[in-house]
Amino acid sequence: MAADLPAEFDVVILGTGLPESIVAAACSRIGQRVLHLDSRNYYGGNWASFTFSGLQSWIDEYKQREATTDEPVTNKEQILENEGIIPLNQRDRTIRNIETFSFSKSEDSNIVEEIGALSIKPELLNTNPTDGDQPLQESPAPEQPELQEPQSESVEHQETTSESDQIPGANIAPNSEGGSTTDAEPNAAKVCQTESRKSITYSDIVREGRRFNIDLVSKFLYSRGLLIDLLIKSNVSRYTEFKNVTRILTYHNGRIEQVPCSRADVFSSKQLSMIEKRTLMKFLTFCADYEQHPEEYQDYKDSAFLDFLQSKRLTPSLQHFVLCSIAMVSKNTNTVDGLKATQHFLRCLGRYGNTPFLFHMYGLGEIPQCFCRMSAVFGGIYCLHHSLQCLVIDEDSKQCKAVIDSSGKRISCNYVLVEDSYLSEVTCAQVQYRQISRAILITDCSVLKSESDQEISVLTVPSEDGRQNAVYMTELCSSTNTCMKNTYLVHLSCPSVKATAREDLEPVIQKLFTLDADGGE
Amino acid sequence: MAIRELKVCLLGDTGVGKSSIVCRFVQDHFDHNISPTIGASFMTKTVPCGNELHKFLIWDTAGQERFHSLAPMYYRGSAAAVIVYDITKQDSFHTLKKWVKELKEHGPENIVVAIAGNKCDLSDIREVSMKDAREYADSIGAIVVETSAKNAINVEELFRGISRRIPPLEPHQNGSNGAMKLGRQTSQTTNRCC
Repeated sequence: MAADLPAEFDVVILGTGLPESIVAAACSRIGQRVLHLDSRNYYGGNWASFTFSGLQSWIDEYKQREATTDEPVTNKEQILENEGIIPLNQRDRTIRNIETFSFSKSEDSNIVEEIGALSIKPELLNTNPTDGDQPLQESPAPEQPELQEPQSESVEHQETTSESDQIPGANIAPNSEGGSTTDAEPNAAKVCQTESRKSITYSDIVREGRRFNIDLVSKFLYSRGLLIDLLIKSNVSRYTEFKNVTRILTYHNGRIEQVPCSRADVFSSKQLSMIEKRTLMKFLTFCADYEQHPEEYQDYKDSAFLDFLQSKRLTPSLQHFVLCSIAMVSKNTNTVDGLKATQHFLRCLGRYGNTPFLFHMYGLGEIPQCFCRMSAVFGGIYCLHHSLQCLVIDEDSKQCKAVIDSSGKRISCNYVLVEDSYLSEVTCAQVQYRQISRAILITDCSVLKSESDQEISVLTVPSEDGRQNAVYMTELCSSTNTCMKNTYLVHLSCPSVKATAREDLEPVIQKLFTLDADGGE
Repeated sequence: MAIRELKVCLLGDTGVGKSSIVCRFVQDHFDHNISPTIGASFMTKTVPCGNELHKFLIWDTAGQERFHSLAPMYYRGSAAAVIVYDITKQDSFHTLKKWVKELKEHGPENIVVAIAGNKCDLSDIREVSMKDAREYADSIGAIVVETSAKNAINVEELFRGISRRIPPLEPHQNGSNGAMKLGRQTSQTTNRCC
């Protein structure tokens, strides 16, 4: 089949993550002949999103690959005399230390089939930690300046609990000591729902597995910015839909609170005193065009944003709101950077809704696909499950003039763009990587109940000692089409500090969620 | 009359005439040398149905089916799918089943499936009988028609059939799920935050 591929292109792109897909769309749009490949049989690479069974297959595949070593295969026949090659990796080691957990009751362990899916491998989670000690493998190709840091050490906590008999409708309840369980009486319809739903079991999740779109990398977008501009300008936005994040939450004084950020929020807030409301409004109004009032922050230009907040007589609660949830910066951030971040937040507010953030329907994994479609519409040729063995370099000009694909065919081209995970350790020896710890949870209860069960929340959990980075959490409801009804899909991430994502994130998860399997409520 | 936007995705092997069918339906035009679909994201046509107007947004594969690389986003939110085969090519009828499987895996629930046996103007070199097609379509609850994009046979009927299968909106539904498309003209006027 792939033998039908033309033997000549202007641009060959390997990897269908967001940066590669944007480049593919841009090249096709200006009339370049683009060949876009990915070694996987799905789009997005590490930007992909999966159904529940899809994620399980992905995890299995990853574990298998972790256990094997690969040797670069190269077809020397196709190489001419004055040509060199750069062999490419045949597998990706960006993500490491995957663990899965299930807190579902044992009665669910019988085999269930996902509805609508045609092949599924039902199996229990709860695998042992597999700490790989592999060296880092990937580096950004020089052509990809905007590439994100690779995310490693992704823990998949998949928690699902069965309800205990006594407590209806609260399985993974937010910590009761948090005081957040004082939710208002839900309306009648919701009571019915709660009763009829009984509990979400592991089997339910498998059965409804195709309703999940679980992102490997969860991100939300500021409603103003380069990516939003690009989506609109390129018309890619026509392919796709967003929802506005509905709540911004923070973890403060041992409980989860909603952060008032719009004018209306501030005035209706019950947590703030009148004086606080006035102080906060005044401060935010100043931040909206802080450049106009240099005298206000001149003295604090070189000191920490936190000191500046104190000088403005913001109470500790307000300092916390501004620092952690509005500016989303750390305690050491410089005043000007803090002001800039606050201003950006304020400018994004109100463009599409009450918070400055957008979340992509069906998950972030859709965005690269949309750019790929744009590329295909303008003639780009797509071939998944097809990779490159090596790049062919002209010894004289030191330029890449061709590639050898995984079937051994030589394809000549003027430009090549390769996602960094395909480049070998040797090629990327100079590149430094940052690690991100991630966790994904499926829960059956929001961390902060509200009148609606369809909130999209962003939560910041600052580190306790203030020295580490905060943990960011997104809680997605079923109307984002990323999880089944009556469940929430929760993503947590923070820069890696400890050896595994589990060590980094488990303390926060324990703070925010109650697991039935622990024997507690 | 209320206008309802309905996304329709086209499926089927390369060369069976997917684009020609859309071209006939939308522009009432047929081009012998149509090149593999370039430059159009989707085509639209509005047709009346009962007391609603159905605005079909017809998505073409943009050639991504050629190396079996259609993206899941292609199926998102589709109200209907048209799977096209070529009545003069038995192979293209065999692969119908593969497309149906794809749809089951990636397509939304309750998607209306229509099967179009295209190139029925070439029935003297037919390889697929209408009976086989009907039997298969019945087994999966799909609409089936034989069409000719070239001679404008049954193309309108195909889409009319789809329209009829689309359940009318309940009075309280407005057809929206609260999601939004990002557009060029977003209002800057909303009062600035604080």
